[in-house]
Amino acid sequence: MHGFGAVVTPGSDAVSQEDWELRVFAMSTLVGVEGIGAGSGRAIREEMEPAEYLRAGYYERWLWSTEQRLLRRGTIGELEVDEWVARLRAGEAAPRRDDPEAAARSVAATSTTDPLTPATDARFAPGDAVRVQRMRPEGHTRCPRYVRGATGVVETVRGLDPFPDIGPYAGPKEPVYAVAFSSEDLFGPSPEGEWTVVLDLFDSYLEPA
Amino acid sequence: MSDDHHHEHDHDELALRAAALEAVLVEKGLLTTDQIDAIVERYERDLGPQNGARVVARAWVDDDYRQRLLTDGAAAIDELGYGGFEGDTMVVVENTPDVHNVVVCTLCSCYPWPVLGLPPTWYKSPAYRARVVAEPRSVLREFGLELPAGKAIRVWDSTSEVRYLVLPERPDGTEAMDEEELATLVTRDSMIGTGLASAPS
Repeated sequence: MHGFGAVVTPGSDAVSQEDWELRVFAMSTLVGVEGIGAGSGRAIREEMEPAEYLRAGYYERWLWSTEQRLLRRGTIGELEVDEWVARLRAGEAAPRRDDPEAAARSVAATSTTDPLTPATDARFAPGDAVRVQRMRPEGHTRCPRYVRGATGVVETVRGLDPFPDIGPYAGPKEPVYAVAFSSEDLFGPSPEGEWTVVLDLFDSYLEPA
Repeated sequence: MSDDHHHEHDHDELALRAAALEAVLVEKGLLTTDQIDAIVERYERDLGPQNGARVVARAWVDDDYRQRLLTDGAAAIDELGYGGFEGDTMVVVENTPDVHNVVVCTLCSCYPWPVLGLPPTWYKSPAYRARVVAEPRSVLREFGLELPAGKAIRVWDSTSEVRYLVLPERPDGTEAMDEEELATLVTRDSMIGTGLASAPS
């Protein structure tokens, strides 16, 4: 697609545009931390109807995916949010409950890390030429269309991570490689000259070139 | 198509729906209000480019630290007390006189939260995500960054769980500055690669 216009627009330096957005961010994060939702927000957001996805604002998509995760897990019922929309619209006050211990526990949970594990027996090594497969995954993927079919060179073996296209993020662990591509192999000649684009790609996306 | 093209009406409806979702979760005892407050506060106040700036300034004054940072980013960043979600595996890419690095997530909005906080709106925009891989010099020019023709550009697309931080070049004329003073020169954009560290005033 083209015609996106300028990257920097008035107000675009801020991390959010309205107060509700970061509350949605927090609820989305907590749905994961507390294990009260199903699936991955990142993957579920891509299930939005395409025209609606492009129309929606960034945190609007997060709001949608957070509701979906809760619904799919059965944590909330189909009409519960609509009912509270009506109650709030009618002037009812939203409930408030506090639990400082739970709050501290949640913050601590977001401070944990889960790094990639070291790769042994990776199929490719730094310096190997690889081609990204032509493919059309059914759902979430971490392989952008603009590299499919292109040939690049493995720079680094990053480690092992669950294959994101299955589940998603529930596939068996497999090697992830930093693969460098010439801009000319991705986009053809450009008045800007040549540059390098590096992507981290899963083993299943690649074949020897 | 972007966050700034909505009508007021949509915003009101979204704010109401977000509040309704929160009411459901709190009423059912699934989350507490102060849990949500605490996460908002952490990501608005505690996590932000001020953390990344300290990492960069340390790397500028301590070459052993710089080496550790470039070898195992997450471990070196953890030395300064920063870590957590979206910082699991950190790769720090170093700008040099010959190479300029810039980071994007073309698929969504992957960003190193522990060192930079949440991404600015433009980082999440279709315009940045589509254009910076395909016309980086034009995009950087929109940020006021005109790179010399001979300087190589490397665009890092955060497609996996690896997160990137750019280590900007230390500006000239900063030899007498200490680590804390240097950190004030390190802008958020210089750590994404859409800017350079500020010159000393």
